Amino acid sequence: MTTTKAHGPTAKMDIRGVSKTFDTRAGAVHALDRCDLAIREGEFVVVVGPSGCGKSTLMMIAAGLEAPSTGQILVDGKPAGPAGPQRTVVFQRFALFPSETVAQNIAFGLRVAGVDRAERARRVTEQLEFMRLSQFRDAYPHELSGGMQQRVAIARALVVRPEILLMDEPFGALDAQTRTVLQEEVARLSREMNYTVMFITHSVEEAVYLGDRVVVMSSRPGRIKKEIAIPRDAGWRRLDIEEASSEPGFIELKREIWALIRTEIVRQ
Amino acid sequence: MATRVRSFWRTPPGKIAWLAICLGSIVVLLGAWWYLTRPGGGISPLFLPPPDEVLDAFVRLLSRPYLGSTLGQHIAASLEVVMTGWLAAGLVGLPLGIAMGWWRKARWVAFPIFQVLRPVPPLAWIPLAIVWLGIGESARVFVVFIAAIVPWVMNSMQAVYSIDALLVSAALTLGANDRQILTRVVCRTALPTLVAGARISLGNAWTTLVAAELLAATSGLGYIALNASRTLEIGILLVAMAIIGVLGALFSVIMQLVTRIVAPWSRANAEGA
Ligand SMILES: Nc1ncnc2c1ncn2[C@@H]1O[C@H](COP(=O)(O)OP(=O)(O)O)[C@@H](O)[C@H]1O
Ligand SMILES: [Mg+2]
Repeated sequence: MTTTKAHGPTAKMDIRGVSKTFDTRAGAVHALDRCDLAIREGEFVVVVGPSGCGKSTLMMIAAGLEAPSTGQILVDGKPAGPAGPQRTVVFQRFALFPSETVAQNIAFGLRVAGVDRAERARRVTEQLEFMRLSQFRDAYPHELSGGMQQRVAIARALVVRPEILLMDEPFGALDAQTRTVLQEEVARLSREMNYTVMFITHSVEEAVYLGDRVVVMSSRPGRIKKEIAIPRDAGWRRLDIEEASSEPGFIELKREIWALIRTEIVRQ
Repeated sequence: MATRVRSFWRTPPGKIAWLAICLGSIVVLLGAWWYLTRPGGGISPLFLPPPDEVLDAFVRLLSRPYLGSTLGQHIAASLEVVMTGWLAAGLVGLPLGIAMGWWRKARWVAFPIFQVLRPVPPLAWIPLAIVWLGIGESARVFVVFIAAIVPWVMNSMQAVYSIDALLVSAALTLGANDRQILTRVVCRTALPTLVAGARISLGNAWTTLVAAELLAATSGLGYIALNASRTLEIGILLVAMAIIGVLGALFSVIMQLVTRIVAPWSRANAEGA
């Protein structure tokens, strides 16, 4: 992954005119309506919106786990094709393989890709260290706290070196303290490694703290309502989330985004 | 915690307390048995002989052949039939159940068949088995096979079918193909439930075998029980029943042990045996 930000004409991932209609017994559910979103290389894009507006659906389509009704997903200007390690996903419910240890879970993507044993061990160990999981390498998921499980899921998604990391409310199932620690961890990750990330949340604070750009979706059927750039050099980048959230600039952005979401919730 | 004392029944016992409670309940049962069957105790030894007479019957069965075979040979005959029928059922039922859980179309094809088979008591197959195969071992193996295959298939199907779809999604995004997902994710995750199905199946096979031996056998534990009841040797009848019960319980314990060995990660193992 490069450390300089590409501002070229082609985005890393381009979500183009994506709509989604689910046929349910109760009739058609229009979840998404012509969503356009381009994510540049190295950019951390956070999608916020009222609950049920189609955020998860958008991410499933971006991951190739769900087919769009119209529109398409491009990666580096080419149709993205089915799900695969090019776009890995961190789910809210962790989705770790219960029969595998922490190290085996992290090695999964390398193993199915046929990476040889020595290389696999090297990269897993490196990833364990990077996510501060080394002492848990032989534990099973059910022996870990939620926060630790989510670290494993992040490590498992990163070790295959995806072009884009997709995260769907990854901290939604965690308690407040664990969530804060992991938010700071992800901020560190994206600072150090400059990953391209599409991150979904309903926490405005989390969005402003982590994002280079915050995308607000309308209530269902979800459309992209507004995009708000967060300055890369914002003063709070270096602070922890507790301190950051009392910075005037941070509060201002938070208020602005909240106002947008509020009107969408009221509109429902 | 400190404000309310937990009731005796809800406090988890220590190892020693647990053993004491288990032994205690057995001792009480034997005591009551002995008390009721002692001379003038209310129950005639013709209906229920006292414990020491049953023990005598057991020792006699061990030392002398009964109905042409030693006790060991009778047990072996029963075990052989039950294992053959159960394993054969597993050879067919396990892959079939997994396929039905994984591929919708396999489920559509095979599920109705098993829905019709399920409510037919395995014993209802005995007359047919006798017509087809005569009163021999193969008839009993066949009936055991029928009794075992239904839970093998149904539980294996359920085990695979109820795998969390999110695990499959996760595996897909990590680059796994269908075969890798089926073997590395689905079957491994389903393993404890698959073994539980095997256990239920073995239990079914065992009870059905004993019943089949009552009708179509020349050796085996059920055959002993049937003959002993005809000759009113209640002691021997009780010994046969006790062995049937103990072996059945033993199977269950062994299968639990198997789960612990093949799926050491299974959460269910953390809770009592
Ligand atoms: N597989 C599905 N079948 C039918 N309806 C669905 C399905 N997935 C999502 N939906 C509907 O689409 C809408 C958007 O859902 P979702 O993307 O999960 O929202 P969000 O993640 O923003 O809370 C909801 O109304 C939901 O009920
Ligand atoms: Mg969601």
